[in-house]
Amino acid sequence: MRIGSYELKLEKRGTLSNWQAASISILAIIFALALFSIIFILAGINPLSAYREIFSFAFINPYGLPPTINRFIFLLFCTYAFIIPFRAGLWNIGMTGQLYAGALGAFAVLFAFGGKASLSADLSLEIVIPFMLIAAALGGAVPGAIAGFLKGKYNINEIVVTMLLNFIIFWLVSFMIKEGGPFMNPGGRGESFELPPSVYAPLINNVPFTIFIALGLAVLIYFLFAKTKIGYQIRAYGQNPAAAEYAGISPFKIPLLVFTLGGAIAGLAGYHYFAAVPGVYKIARNYGFFGDLAFYGIICGLISLGNPIAAIPVALLFGGLSVGGRYVQGKLSMSFGLDYALLGVLMITLVVFQFFYRYKIVFIKIGKERTDVGVLR
Amino acid sequence: MKPPEEGQVQKGPLKGIKRGETVLEARGITKRFPGVVANDQIYFEIKAGEIHAVLGENGAGKTTLMNILFGLYQPDEGEIFIGGKSVKFRSPLDAIDMGIGMVHQHRKLIPAHTVIENIILGHPSAGKILNINRAGDEINELCERYGFHVDLKAKVWQLSEGEKQVVEILKTLYRGAEVLILDEPTSALTPIETEKLLTSIEAMSKDELAIVPFITHKLPIVLAISDRVTVLRRGKVTARLDTKDATEKSLAMEMVGREVIFRIERTRVERGKPILQVENLSALSDKGVLALSGVSFSISEGEIFGIAGISGNGQRELVEVIAGLRNPEEGKVILDEIDITFSSSLERWQRGMGYIPCDRIDVGSIGDFSLVENTTMNYYFDDNYSRYGIVDYKKLRKLTEEIVSEYGVATPSPDTQAKTLSGGNLQKLILARVLSRKPRLVIADLPTQGLDVGATEFVRNKLVEAKKGKAGVLLISEDLDEILSLSDWVAPVYEGKLMDIIPGEKVKREIVGAMMAGLHLEGEET
Amino acid sequence: MWEFFVRSLDASTIFTLAALGELIGQRSGVLNVGIEGVMLFGATLGFIAAQSTGSYLLGFLVGIAIGGLLGLMHGFFSITLGVDQVVSGMGIWIMGFGLTTYIGNPYTGPLGMPRIPSILGLSPFFYLGIALVVITWFVLSKTSLGLRIRSVGENPSVAEVSGIDVAKTRYLCVTIGGMLMGLAGAVYSLDYNPVWNYNFLMGWGFIALALVFFSMWNPFILLSGSLLFGTLWQLSLNPQLVLPGVMSRYIWRMVPFAITLLVLLIMSTKWFRIKWGAAKPEALGQPYVKE
Repeated sequence: MRIGSYELKLEKRGTLSNWQAASISILAIIFALALFSIIFILAGINPLSAYREIFSFAFINPYGLPPTINRFIFLLFCTYAFIIPFRAGLWNIGMTGQLYAGALGAFAVLFAFGGKASLSADLSLEIVIPFMLIAAALGGAVPGAIAGFLKGKYNINEIVVTMLLNFIIFWLVSFMIKEGGPFMNPGGRGESFELPPSVYAPLINNVPFTIFIALGLAVLIYFLFAKTKIGYQIRAYGQNPAAAEYAGISPFKIPLLVFTLGGAIAGLAGYHYFAAVPGVYKIARNYGFFGDLAFYGIICGLISLGNPIAAIPVALLFGGLSVGGRYVQGKLSMSFGLDYALLGVLMITLVVFQFFYRYKIVFIKIGKERTDVGVLR
Repeated sequence: MKPPEEGQVQKGPLKGIKRGETVLEARGITKRFPGVVANDQIYFEIKAGEIHAVLGENGAGKTTLMNILFGLYQPDEGEIFIGGKSVKFRSPLDAIDMGIGMVHQHRKLIPAHTVIENIILGHPSAGKILNINRAGDEINELCERYGFHVDLKAKVWQLSEGEKQVVEILKTLYRGAEVLILDEPTSALTPIETEKLLTSIEAMSKDELAIVPFITHKLPIVLAISDRVTVLRRGKVTARLDTKDATEKSLAMEMVGREVIFRIERTRVERGKPILQVENLSALSDKGVLALSGVSFSISEGEIFGIAGISGNGQRELVEVIAGLRNPEEGKVILDEIDITFSSSLERWQRGMGYIPCDRIDVGSIGDFSLVENTTMNYYFDDNYSRYGIVDYKKLRKLTEEIVSEYGVATPSPDTQAKTLSGGNLQKLILARVLSRKPRLVIADLPTQGLDVGATEFVRNKLVEAKKGKAGVLLISEDLDEILSLSDWVAPVYEGKLMDIIPGEKVKREIVGAMMAGLHLEGEET
Repeated sequence: MWEFFVRSLDASTIFTLAALGELIGQRSGVLNVGIEGVMLFGATLGFIAAQSTGSYLLGFLVGIAIGGLLGLMHGFFSITLGVDQVVSGMGIWIMGFGLTTYIGNPYTGPLGMPRIPSILGLSPFFYLGIALVVITWFVLSKTSLGLRIRSVGENPSVAEVSGIDVAKTRYLCVTIGGMLMGLAGAVYSLDYNPVWNYNFLMGWGFIALALVFFSMWNPFILLSGSLLFGTLWQLSLNPQLVLPGVMSRYIWRMVPFAITLLVLLIMSTKWFRIKWGAAKPEALGQPYVKE
């Protein structure tokens, strides 16, 4: 392509430094937000003021900040549930089902401790919460392990499997909490029984303790990939399964392991949103909404290129955007689903930008030596 | 002239050219690649009805010339004339339109399609709705004319190598080729198939087709069929002569330049105790067919055991079974007196097996990993380099630096990605990584394939060094010279069976060559 | 019972159309995991167009057009830009899911138009679906175009040296495939269940994707698979029609997905692969870069 006396050319990148990767990712987000402003313009709203509203509500407003933080924690769990298989070259899009399963696991513990029978049940926090966490992780790990097992043993496409499991578990939740299901609310509403206040998750500055689990996982996962033998095996498998097998790495165990781990982390996301976020404390009627939010985890994971530390700011940003989006949608009386639309725009922008992780655009002055003044380098 | 085509093939510029007239002429062809002049002022011509062989070693510029004649490369200098007119090929399609056909050494066929589908694919007159029957009749006529036998309704994956080549030749003929370029036409064929092919080639030349076989080693073939020979060496034409004036010896001299025999002195190392014993091994291929049957042999300390054969005769399955990447149907693998038939690969590496795979890029290395991380492939399980599940990358970096300098891997730093290395350097790295563990048994699968002369010699010397260090070496190679110069035992393999196991000093080249093709020569001592 | 039979065939038709679109793309070597997204778009925009203009024809045309556009977009990402086909497909799915939720929300509710008349008691699209299956089979196995498509899906570099434009062929297939998926979505929202609701498909597209794997890339097997799953799906929605009182209706909703998993498992066993495995297009999912 020619522009004036310059020729536009694509060049394959060699290696991508961390800074280059980060700047491309930041550019992708900026580009997506710019693209998204078309939606505001179509609705007759000045995009700049809309974004100001979104950001100030999400990150400054005392009513907006807590939901942002809660969503951030949730997204971080979902992102890690995606990242671990992703580093092994596998796609976990089953966070939705895995987090439902985690929530069911956590509520099963309450059920066992008699939490359904009475809201005033005086349960011991120190005993019940660890059990709930373990059950949530196990609950999420089960569908994860199924997908990993089928991939490792029979090489069945993990995208199809995790998606099918999402639907299966979605209906399982409905069965459990609606129309006389075992976890149904004693009041007869189509939602789960509520958490007894005695086992509300401890809050620090109004933030559930799960934030420490999420941030701790960031460090652990970083360490896992940078230093450990298992991390090395996962990465090798992800880069080149045939070479990994040659190096003695089991093509069965790795998928099983990464999906089990990913599922367990997604299960914790289920505990977090349904049993630790103030004001929820139940599997709500519209639990599907939280499941849909989990897909932001895919985008976080892709934009941060599988780096668990880089995922932290990205998850915080997306948490804020989705909370703020919901807010301006109401405030500016826009149509429902603004946060969904943002999800869609972010995702498709990211697809385009996948290209720039591999290519760069260079300008070449025609007839002269290469000048290499490039954008997106 | 050719009834099978009946005018539905477009008339090329070569129609009507008589026997003995020049159909294709290349003048002053020069092609440079960074650091090499692959073709230097090459002149080449071929006449209708002639078989004009091009002879040259690997790296002599044959492939470049062939690709230029077929339009895959554009020459930096020089011109190509067809039927006396200067032409420029922008792509192979241009060359095909001008009546040039190429039969590649690496088959350009679609295995899942039938023979007919492959032949008519992309043919301009195929029509919107395929008329399989008419095409079949036309192709059958071609077959009869030149004595080809192939089932047109069979799927290509069911065919033998020779039949696949026939399909490729038919495809170019059906497209109306007048000049047929054959890349190593007999390299993958059995002697019987070779015989048939030569007969067909002669029949084609009688029909005024010009045929250009490009050949590396098989001098007898050149002498048997060609009318003229052009010999290339280091990018230049060193000789052009009528075949009747040539002998095997004179051609070899022109090809190599002097009477050189590539030979590493075979060193005798005292035979120690057996390291690897393979007993009655049978295995299936990926397609579920028996690819290896009843193979038994043993390798002792200080021995190189060479398996000679054309690829696809069960070598891959044999190596994978020994390396633990494939389960055998039957038989045993014993390493240092321990039965490891069903042990995992990892366990085998830990027990002192080392494996240099034939596919350096897709199996032997991880392109996006640094050299350190690539070294880690053979070390992550080693307690000296990883403890409590934590890999000691510092120590590995130091080790990588050491082996990189010891093996002369040309790289700016051990942190560069493996995909930036050249083939020779990558092979050195893999060799270094495997041999630095001081393995008891080294499996070297096509270790010098595609390497230049320097790297080849380096790799061979390292294998000999390993042998001197009392390791056993299992060498798999297609290159008879390599096998003969290195091995203490030579086992020709054919269709999944070892034809014989011959001590190195008693080996005769012709016998091994015949056995690789499935024949036992009579009257020779074994 | 007749009602159940008719509804089953309607559901099968939607599976057939969507899966056929995917099959055509896959035959040329392009995997599109975003069927559900394309269907959502076709359904939503078709619904909006039909409701605002009162014309069914326009609704279907818009559905087909947006499907074709999304197919083209998938082609641009995966063929021209060389983005991983899975990434691109996931992008199209999530985009479809996200944007249609926002765009369609003001139209939540029934379509409010007279139902499309049936032919001999069945939806006209059922006949269209069958015809398209036959046409696809004919084109793929009997025509020169079909041979080119199959060759590009098996081995693009061989196709290229035989004089076939790989990119053009693949673009053609993903675009036509997208149009069929868009049509499938529009048939859902204008004929099968003319009510717009948030994320109403709930997995139709993913089942259609699995159906293509089941079909061994053969349009007729695809049709029988669609009939089976259409019936199963309808049964899971209305179990009381056939087996009243057996299991909760929510458990029934899980059944088609569970059976899909089971079939996938059987198809992936070694026994099955050695017997039937050759059908898969060899170059499926791999980008082709010209040398």
